[in-house]
Order: sequence, then structure tokens, then C-alpha cells
Amino acid sequence: MKRSAFAGPYVVWMILSTVAPLLFVVYFALTDRSGAFTLENLAKFVDPIYLGVLWRSLYLAFYCTVICLLIGYPAAYFLASKDFARNQALYVLILLPMWMNFLLRTYAMMSVIEDTGMLNNFLKWLGLQPMEIIGTEGAVLLGMVYNFVPFMVLPIHTALKKMNVRLIEAAEDLGAPPAQVFYRVVLPLSLPGIVTGITMVFMPAVTTFAISRLLGSGNFFLFGDIIERQFLESNDWNFGSALSMVMAVLILISMSLLNRVDPKKEGSGAY
Amino acid sequence: MARINLKKFFKGTYLGLLLAFLYLPIVVMIALSFNQSKSRAKWGGFSFKWYLKLLERGEILDALRLTLVIAVLATIVATVLGTLAAIGIHAMKKRPAGLIMNISYLPMTTPDIVTGVSLMLMFVFLRIPLGFSTMLMAHIAFDTPYVLFSVMPKLKQMDVNLYEAALDLGCTPLRAIYKVILPQIMPGVVTGALLAFTMSLDDFVISYFTSSATEKNLSMVVYSAARRGIEPSIYALSTIMFLVVLVLLLIINKRSSLENVS
Amino acid sequence: MVEDTRLIELIGVSKEFDGTMALDNVSLYIRKREFITLLGPSGCGKTTLLRILGGFEMPSQGQVLFEGKDLLPIPPYKRRINTVFQKYALFPHLNVYDNVAFGLKLKKLPAAEIGVRVRRLLELVKMTGYEKRDVEQLSGGQQQRVAIARALVNEPEVLLLDEPLGALDLKLRKAMQLELKAMQQQLGITFVYVTHDQEEALTMSDTIVVMKDGHIQQVGDSKRIYDEPQNAFVADFIGESNILDGVMLEDELVSFCGKKFPCVDSGFAPNEAVDVVVRPEDIMIVGEDVGMLTGRVVSLLFKGVHYEMVVEAGGFRWKVHSTAMQPEGSRVGISIVPFNIHIMHKQLEPDAGEDGA
Repeated sequence: MKRSAFAGPYVVWMILSTVAPLLFVVYFALTDRSGAFTLENLAKFVDPIYLGVLWRSLYLAFYCTVICLLIGYPAAYFLASKDFARNQALYVLILLPMWMNFLLRTYAMMSVIEDTGMLNNFLKWLGLQPMEIIGTEGAVLLGMVYNFVPFMVLPIHTALKKMNVRLIEAAEDLGAPPAQVFYRVVLPLSLPGIVTGITMVFMPAVTTFAISRLLGSGNFFLFGDIIERQFLESNDWNFGSALSMVMAVLILISMSLLNRVDPKKEGSGAY
Repeated sequence: MARINLKKFFKGTYLGLLLAFLYLPIVVMIALSFNQSKSRAKWGGFSFKWYLKLLERGEILDALRLTLVIAVLATIVATVLGTLAAIGIHAMKKRPAGLIMNISYLPMTTPDIVTGVSLMLMFVFLRIPLGFSTMLMAHIAFDTPYVLFSVMPKLKQMDVNLYEAALDLGCTPLRAIYKVILPQIMPGVVTGALLAFTMSLDDFVISYFTSSATEKNLSMVVYSAARRGIEPSIYALSTIMFLVVLVLLLIINKRSSLENVS
Repeated sequence: MVEDTRLIELIGVSKEFDGTMALDNVSLYIRKREFITLLGPSGCGKTTLLRILGGFEMPSQGQVLFEGKDLLPIPPYKRRINTVFQKYALFPHLNVYDNVAFGLKLKKLPAAEIGVRVRRLLELVKMTGYEKRDVEQLSGGQQQRVAIARALVNEPEVLLLDEPLGALDLKLRKAMQLELKAMQQQLGITFVYVTHDQEEALTMSDTIVVMKDGHIQQVGDSKRIYDEPQNAFVADFIGESNILDGVMLEDELVSFCGKKFPCVDSGFAPNEAVDVVVRPEDIMIVGEDVGMLTGRVVSLLFKGVHYEMVVEAGGFRWKVHSTAMQPEGSRVGISIVPFNIHIMHKQLEPDAGEDGA
């Protein structure tokens, strides 16, 4: 028996459990209830209501990604710097939430920003007006950032750690003051990490349904919510599949656009 | 020197604030799980009462049982499947190996909701009733690549001649794998298994779509409870889940950092 | 040629890393247009010294002057000193042209001038035509050239080179040694060169600084370092040597291997225990009957130009280089002229090198 045959069961299993289901999505998206071919499901999506939901998902995910980048880049940079590079505990602490159930963390966030939650109690204690945060887009955005910021820190940190310290010294040696070292060497070399970070934040942010349901109190829908509704409430699987397909395609397109940001070209094109 | 310390202080403060942002809600929730009073506004004294309440709720105990059984079974199957796959792929030529690795990335790069929905569609289409077995299959599907990706680097680190040396010394291929390759990649197998177990314990979205309303895992119970509003016993449940995952992750982290040293 | 003006001066420089002294009270001056080589085994402090000059390390103690002014408060990016790093440290995100142009772009020079200067430097290092190449696709030797061009394009006063030829194969290394030396003479700037390869140091340098354990052992030109090593370490590190224990009986008379030998050194205490150093090529093989010592050839290797023999005589295994061959096992006599017997004080560990600079 050849050794490569050991992969056989896995290959069969992956085709059955990963590839085939995705084909089912396509099949359902392009058929009606009787199983006949139709484009109606896709056409149904071109409706101001759904496009509005898509738009809201996109801009919330976009804001979330930008905020995560703004918070996460300095964090990754400081964490990789000489002062903290040996602090393994700090690194683990910042990345640990990545692996923790996002639902639980969303739930924890909920108990902080709720109308009678910890934050408002604190404001009251200070003698300030309580804020109505929960149920707003701001709350959903906060929840997304809270959940996804470690996903931005990790890849950027990895890219920065991989960078040879001698390169920074070489830049200084050639006359670059700190700001120029950052702009001309550190930033372009960490670009692959940034791209991965954006992917890892944007994708779950644009597809989430639970965060919006819990922190948005169901006041508005995101794209993930309407997909979930098609399957578990309205039972319109064909339309749900069409929406899933649209989402998968959107993500594929944005990923390939991002990967097009060739670090090499970007680095030299930066000046 | 003073300026350098100021810089370090600034960096430290920034990272400290980030940590506070990440952990404050969790700490608040853990604290509230020990709060005697149901109100979140005032501290009614320390109490285990919400933890005890958990035990009274059959729904939660059932969910716990289901979560653990699924996690254990999925981990066992995924570990066997993933380890064998890694050994097989390692022996393949570059092109087929690359293709299989790319397919393995699929569950990681497809949004969870799409993975969940796609599995649900297939199960329903094939008239497999949603419930325990479908949820188990779904978990095996997303767990297996984690094992594969943990084992693969260990195989790459291994001396390529080891396997051939074993054959040369008279081992059959199966024996060579069992006697020579497996001990070498064991650390990767264990890490992969722990990772798969954690992922399975932790999963919500995929379970949500591939299970039925009666077969709920802990995450699903938390979700439906959270939609109804805040409940201190759910805080207690979340605290326990947090701690379990935390311990598992610390073990995984410790293992992989030890391996990096050696 | 080397000018007499002192360009850089190190005064009592020490550097401590976590309790170990990488440099211990080192004083040294570097002259204008000098090709100076810091030579020593790994861990001797040579790279630390170079990094202090580059501005990447701060000494724990001591002073560094550049043209008489304190160099230490000046950050690396303001120093008129450039570095060729050990593994080149080329920017992987930039092509050859942009790597070399890096320093000039920072100075905001007009693009046309940058172009002229980059091309001139690429010509100097024989890399014309490689402008658009990705640096990671270049061979080690080519990367080396780009690194040199990148450092030189800024027209530094001093070029620091940290084992720049270490990653190259022997033939390329030899060729680059000559090229570097020619380049330094053509440009008329100071080179501070770090290496552990004594042959490289001897070929290229105006001045060699031999270092060990953070101390300078000896400073001098190639000939002096080779012919008049100041202690057994230098003698052993530079070229091959026979090093024996001996006793200085009186001025110009030393005893080793149970015999007395006339020599040319004096000024030692009577009966002082000393190191006796004899270069293998300074030992003459003579007839058994006329030798100062007699012994037996225990091994023989042909090395191309000469034979390398080991002769066991007087209880010591002598390394001998000779163009005349003596078969293994034959009995021979060895003879050394007084001028070739070098007498050195025993090294007192570990502070022996302090007077070195």
C-alpha cells in the first residue's frame, strides 16, 4: 500500500462534507421550490430592502475593520517592540480572546452596555445621564470591534516579529529618522500582516448574525440575520442559498482584491 | 534613559488599556455570576446560588452532555482522519498535495454561516434528520483541518530518511508509520486534538444550523437565553465555559511554545 | 594613503551585556583613509565595537570621538558612517535600484541626481543592469555588492563592514577581498572591517586590531602582527605556530625541550617562565647529527607548495613547513636560528590585553 493512500478517507470526507455542501448552496440558489432552474432568487435580492441591509452590513464591517486596524496596529507594534517582545504572558493574554466563544464575549459585552448594565450604573454613580447604547448600530459596532480586534493584532504581530531587526538598523544607518524608518521599512514589510488582519476581521464582521441580534436587540438586520431568517424562520431556502452565495462571492471578490495589494509594488510605490 | 522609560511606559499603558477593554466585560460577567442579588446594579453578597441553579435546569445539563459527547467523538474521528491524511499528503507529489491543502483551507476561509447553511441544505436534501448525528458530522468536518494543520509541520520537520531507514531495516510500511513516524509527530497530533476539542466545545454558528431545536449545545443555550435577556445563571454557565476553554488554551499554548524551544 | 589625522578615537570604551563584558576598557584610534580590521574569534567584541561606531549600541562606559567631537549622542541616521551588514540586510520589499537609492531619497535629492549616483555606484560594484531585480533573487555575491553600493552611495566618511564576505564561497571571497581593497583606495574613505579570518585581515588591512574576550591584544600592520606577535594568543591566531613552555635563563638565552637556545629577546626576569613561539616555516630540517634537536617524522602532508610535517622531537610535536620532503618515520634533526625564536610573557588571565592599545 502506498503511503499517500492514507489521505484517501480524508479526501473522500472533505469532498462529502465541505465541497458537496457548497455545491448544494449553488444548486438551491439557482432553483425554485419545485427544483426547476431559476434566477428569481438572485433577482429577489435586488430590492431596496435587501440592498439596504447589505449596505449596512458592509459599512459596519468596514468601520469595524478600520477601527480594529487603528487599535490593533499600535498594539501589535508595541507588543513586538524590544520592550515587550519577551513578555510572552502579555502576548497570550491579548490573543487569548480570539479563541474564546464570541457568543460568550458578546454576552459579556451586553451586560456592560445594557440600559441597566455596568456602564450606565457607573455613569449614574458619576451623576451623569445614562446612555442608551444597546439596540443601536454603535452597540453592534462596539461588539464587533470587541470580538475581532485580536484577529487584527495576531497577523500584524507575526509579520512584525518576522521582520529582521537589521533592516531597521540598516534604514537608520542610511539616514532615516524614526518616522521614516516606520514609513519606508516597517509599514511596507508588515503589509502582508495587515492584509491578513483585514481579512480576518472583515469576513466575520460582514457575516455575523448573533452579534447584531444580541446587541442590536433586533432593531435592525444585518446580512447574516436575513440569511439566518430565510433558513430558520421564513423557510425560504432557495432565497437563503442565493443570499449565501452572494455573500460568499462578495467575500471572494474582496479577498482577491486584497491579495492583489502586492506588498512588493506597494512598498516601492509608497514613494 | 528616562526617555526610553517614558516610551515604554506609554506602550505599556496602551497595551494595558487594550487588555482592560478585552477583559473588563468578562471580569464583570464573572463577578456578576457570584452576585447574590439578581440585579446588576447592586452587589448582594457572594454566592454560588446561580451555579447551583444550573444543576436544577435539565436543559443545561442536557446541553452540557451533548457538547461534551460531540466534542469527544468529533475529536477522536478528526484526529485519526487528520493524522492519516497528513501522513498521506506528506508522501504525495507537490501538485495533488497542494490541491488537497487548498480544499482543507476551505472550511477556515468560508464564513461560518455559509458552512453551516451548506451542511444543513445537504442534510435536508439527503433526508438526514437534523440532530445529534448531523451536528457530529458537521463538527468532524470543521475539526479535521485543524488536526491536519497541526500535524503537517511536524512531518515537515522530520528527517526524510527516517521512514526509509525503517523500511531498510525491515519494517513493513504500516509498522514503519506506527513505530517511526507516529512517535515523531505525536506532539503535533496531541496539539491538533486539543485544538479540535476546543473548537468543538466553542462552536455556535455551525451547530446552530446543523442541529435541531431539541438538540442544543451549550453555546446554543446561551444564545437563546441571551435573546430572552440577561439571566445570572447564564453568567455562571458562561464563566464555567470560559474557564474550561481558558485552561485548554493555556495547555495548547504551553505545548506549542515548549515545542518551539526544542 | 592613510593620513595621520585621527578620525575616530575610542577612549576606555566598555560594553556590558547582562553581566558579561563584551568590551572591556578598549582604547583605539582610527585614522583617515585607513583600512582597519578588527580581527578575533567570535565573542571577542569586534562586532560590538563596530555596532557602537554605527550607533546601534551605546557603550556602558567610555568616550567615542569623531573628528574630536563626541559621537555618542548622535543617532545613527545623522552619522556620516554607513554599514554593510553581516547578512546584508537588504530591504526585501525594494528592488536593487530602490535599495541603493534609499539613502538619497531620504535626503530628498532630485530624481535625476539620484539616478546618476545610483548608476555610478552600481557600476562601481559591477551590478549595472540589475536595477529592476528583486533583491531576494540575487546570489550571495550580488547581494553583497548591492549592500556595498547602498552604503557607499551616501558618501560616508567611514564604511563599517561586518564580516561582509562570510557567506561567500572561497573563490568569490578572494576576489571580493581584492575588489574591496581597490574600492577603498579609489574612494579614499576609511573602512572599518570586522572578520574572524586572519588571512583576510592580512591581505586587506593597513592596520589590524587583534581582539579577544573584549580586550585588544595587539594593534599593528600585517607584517608586524605576523612577524612580531605580542603574545601567544596573537601568534596562534595569526598563522600557524608552535607554542612551547620555556624558561628565560638570561638575556638572549632560553631553555625549552631540555636544551638551551640562543635567541634575540631580552629584558625578562631571570628564570621567568615564558611562551616560546616558532613559526612552522622557520624550522629547518637538517641531518640528525647536526640538529639542535633530533626526532622522528610522524606525519607528512603535501599542501601544494610545501610539505606539512609533524616532527616529534624533545618531547614536543613540531609543526614544520618545508619544501623538502622527509619520509614518514625517518629520523631528522631540526634547527632554528635565534632570530626566529620569539619569546613572550606568559599571558596572565584575563587582563593581559589591557596595555594592548
